[in-house]
Amino acid sequence: MEENKHSIVIIDDEESMRDSCRMILDKDGFLTETAEDGEKGLSKIKEMKPDIVLIDLKMPGIGGLDVLEKVNDISPDTIPIVITGYATVESAVEAMKKGAYDFLPKPFTPEQLRVIIKRGLEKIRLSREAEALRNEKKLIEENFITMVSHQLRSPLVAIAQYFEVMLSGSVGEMSKQHKDMLSKARNRVNSLLDLINDWLDAARIDKGQLVEKFKPVSLENLLKNQIEFLKPLAEKDDIQLEIETPDIESTIMGDKETLEQAFSNLLNNAIKYNKPNGSVKVSFRENNDNIITDIKDTGIGIKKKHIPHLFNQFYRVNRNQDKKGKGSGLGLSICKKIIEAHSGAIDVSSVPGEGTLFAVSLPKSKEKKTKSFS
Amino acid sequence: MEKAKAKILVIDDDPDFRDAITPILHSASYEAITASNPEEGKKKILDEKPDLILLDIMMDSLFDGFSLCHDIKTSKEFKSVQDTPVIFISAVKEVTGSRFQFKGDKEGMEGPDDYIDKPVKADDLLQRIERLLKK
Repeated sequence: MEENKHSIVIIDDEESMRDSCRMILDKDGFLTETAEDGEKGLSKIKEMKPDIVLIDLKMPGIGGLDVLEKVNDISPDTIPIVITGYATVESAVEAMKKGAYDFLPKPFTPEQLRVIIKRGLEKIRLSREAEALRNEKKLIEENFITMVSHQLRSPLVAIAQYFEVMLSGSVGEMSKQHKDMLSKARNRVNSLLDLINDWLDAARIDKGQLVEKFKPVSLENLLKNQIEFLKPLAEKDDIQLEIETPDIESTIMGDKETLEQAFSNLLNNAIKYNKPNGSVKVSFRENNDNIITDIKDTGIGIKKKHIPHLFNQFYRVNRNQDKKGKGSGLGLSICKKIIEAHSGAIDVSSVPGEGTLFAVSLPKSKEKKTKSFS
Repeated sequence: MEKAKAKILVIDDDPDFRDAITPILHSASYEAITASNPEEGKKKILDEKPDLILLDIMMDSLFDGFSLCHDIKTSKEFKSVQDTPVIFISAVKEVTGSRFQFKGDKEGMEGPDDYIDKPVKADDLLQRIERLLKK
């Protein structure tokens, strides 16, 4: 037995009509209520919020069409079905315009009534499913990611903040040993924060909804901005950060925010795993329908055996010279995901001790210039 | 005790953050007052007339810091204090490697005078405060 019976309100001024409909529907297991005029019908709808309402068009007092118009305001989820003895095309069109889902001409057989009710219920089921899916998606997207990020980060941020305050000396001096331990604790908390950020970023890209946000993006401008932003970091390590911009159209279709993230990650790595007085050079070239961005560093390089695993999640190259601490192990896998979500590819070549080249290939925008094959 | 250089209002719903930030402000001889939600913040802004406001972006609702900042800068209610500098404090980094950026200005929202990420570094915070108070 169904726990929640579907409810139906029948509004008709003819008593025999109400009774016969009710009999049929009761027998089929519906919860039915009847009303003999529009006014009573509307208050029943208000009270019950039924799944379906059957409305006779021709009634004294408030007519069926007026009831129909109000149903949507009172109970937007109710499916209105019109029944009438003077079925004309005009009245049908009029009723549909006012929101009727279906139309049942009198006289009708119990079977016809059942079919039309079944159709109405199917529509309810489908729209509820769609609604549930939409809500679920929305919840996952907005609340989950934002709230998880907020909830996971808040306590860690508070802990890190206390460490910062103590280490800053604002609450009195500490012994060197205290300081050392506290700064180690701080570093661990900070890398956990980074991991959460990266993990959430990766989760966001998984959604595959990036394409909907695509707009023309100038790679040249994007990279120039990134380089401007990272200059202070590079200067701190005496690393030269430069961009070479040949006269080519560098516009692609993409999502600026995530592309920034991908390139920022590659540039950060190129700075972080460089040698003192080293350099990072960014340049563009065209290759058929692609724009290739080369990011070349003079860093410590990557051994051949690591290269096939470089873009795997949580894969870390074990570096002896690495003094800068470990990343989350997700950075490059996120980069790859972002670039692939843009129908691009990322390639790496490296000579240990000499440097690494990351080549990011992205398809040119076809919006501005259509290629001619003449 | 030496006289406070300036009065700073911290609006943040996290009591630990308020507790941690206060000694940093004291260490540089600022007077620190706190509020734990936007409503209390509004009241303190008007009653205490702070010289600078540190404002958390995400409190009860996700971005209520944005609307409070907008109110301070534009509404009649805050006319007498609308020039008070506001620094946004945020634990949300939208893009790895780049600073959380205010996007409300695209929707006609007034932005803050500066931003700083949580956890806040003591030196960085004090420098930014000093810079804004000099203006």
